[in-house]
Amino acid sequence: MEKGATLKSKGKEGSFKGKDDSSMKSKYGRKVHINFEGFPEPKTLSSPKYVGKDDTPFPKGYSSKGGKGDKIANGGKTPAKEPQPLELNIELELPENVKCMSMMDCEAASILQGIQDQMVTLSKDPELKLPVPFDKGLQYAKRGVHYTNPQSVRKVLETLTKHGVSNSELCEIANVGPESVDEVFSLVPSLKAKRSKLSEPLKGVLSELAKLKESASLASQLEEESQHGGKFT
Amino acid sequence: MFFHIVLERNMQLHPRHFGRNLRDNIVAKLMKDVEGTCSGRHGFVVAITGIENIGKGLIRDGTGFVSFPVKYQCVVFRPFKGEILEAVVTMVNKMGFFAEAGPVQIFVSNHLIPDDMEFQSGDMPNYTTSDGSVKIQKDSEVRLKIIGTRVDATEIFCIGTIKDDFLGVINDPAAA
Repeated sequence: MEKGATLKSKGKEGSFKGKDDSSMKSKYGRKVHINFEGFPEPKTLSSPKYVGKDDTPFPKGYSSKGGKGDKIANGGKTPAKEPQPLELNIELELPENVKCMSMMDCEAASILQGIQDQMVTLSKDPELKLPVPFDKGLQYAKRGVHYTNPQSVRKVLETLTKHGVSNSELCEIANVGPESVDEVFSLVPSLKAKRSKLSEPLKGVLSELAKLKESASLASQLEEESQHGGKFT
Repeated sequence: MFFHIVLERNMQLHPRHFGRNLRDNIVAKLMKDVEGTCSGRHGFVVAITGIENIGKGLIRDGTGFVSFPVKYQCVVFRPFKGEILEAVVTMVNKMGFFAEAGPVQIFVSNHLIPDDMEFQSGDMPNYTTSDGSVKIQKDSEVRLKIIGTRVDATEIFCIGTIKDDFLGVINDPAAA
């Protein structure tokens, strides 16, 4: 069910325009592993343009087909294996014995805000300071939040789980806040394989999320107005 | 992406902390040691949300310190390859631009910036399209995709791209 994708690259800089392609070779010569299992649709990529010390010619306009899922740790030169789109595969990357739940940014924001509020009441001790990553994490979570009520967002997205969408993919969708079904498939490529099944339910989910977004922005506008109103009275 | 995760750690406590407040001392030391740190496996520990279990203490041979295994829940932030993030630009130069998403630094090379954007130097260096419609400069918000990560002792550094569909500067709804 989960598509594992790790891109194997040689450490040359490369960039190419593909329609949904996002496989990249990092500038720092890092080997980026993409392991791929049975990708159904072939894609054509335009010729990559890259600046590297060695010039390895890339065939123009080649199509990438699904490769077998083999993890090759050592990067040998394989011009036959075309780079596959980079897929988010949290389950593979995390150590297996660690159980963790991915969280949407709005859920994280509410938890972190709660902790900060507690700190404010407890902070009679001036030495008690929250670490820098906490502040940055809280700011980031709050900024990315489009929705005020994580539970309703969670409920809406849960309807997708019966179509085989994993928890981390749900969180991706919530965090991105997409406006169209195409955007979802482009930004979360692991869902592309189930495109036919998911398009319809996704449309419904996106319109629900859009309503939640609207009501959230309305609520924040009202709050701002009431604050300003309070100042002038 | 944020995660809620259970981690375990052995806390070493000096006997002077024993007594009525032993548990509080263990928790305080845990928070001091762990919050704000970064590991390759779990990413940044942003905050501890709860203590699940504190095991029986074991006296270390030779030192008198006691080691307690503590299981705790925490919120971590870890970037993944393939993840889409919204980041704030912190610096722009001709090699590309640096952006920050939470505690994580991301670099986007100019090779991974769309070809129609050119670097403009000056007081406020930026990348602009030829028609001037889209500009990336300090404090701009961009949506990018992580394509590689590197973990140091204390921080995680990522490489990103904006050269794909639906990536790039996030338009202000007010300005749009």
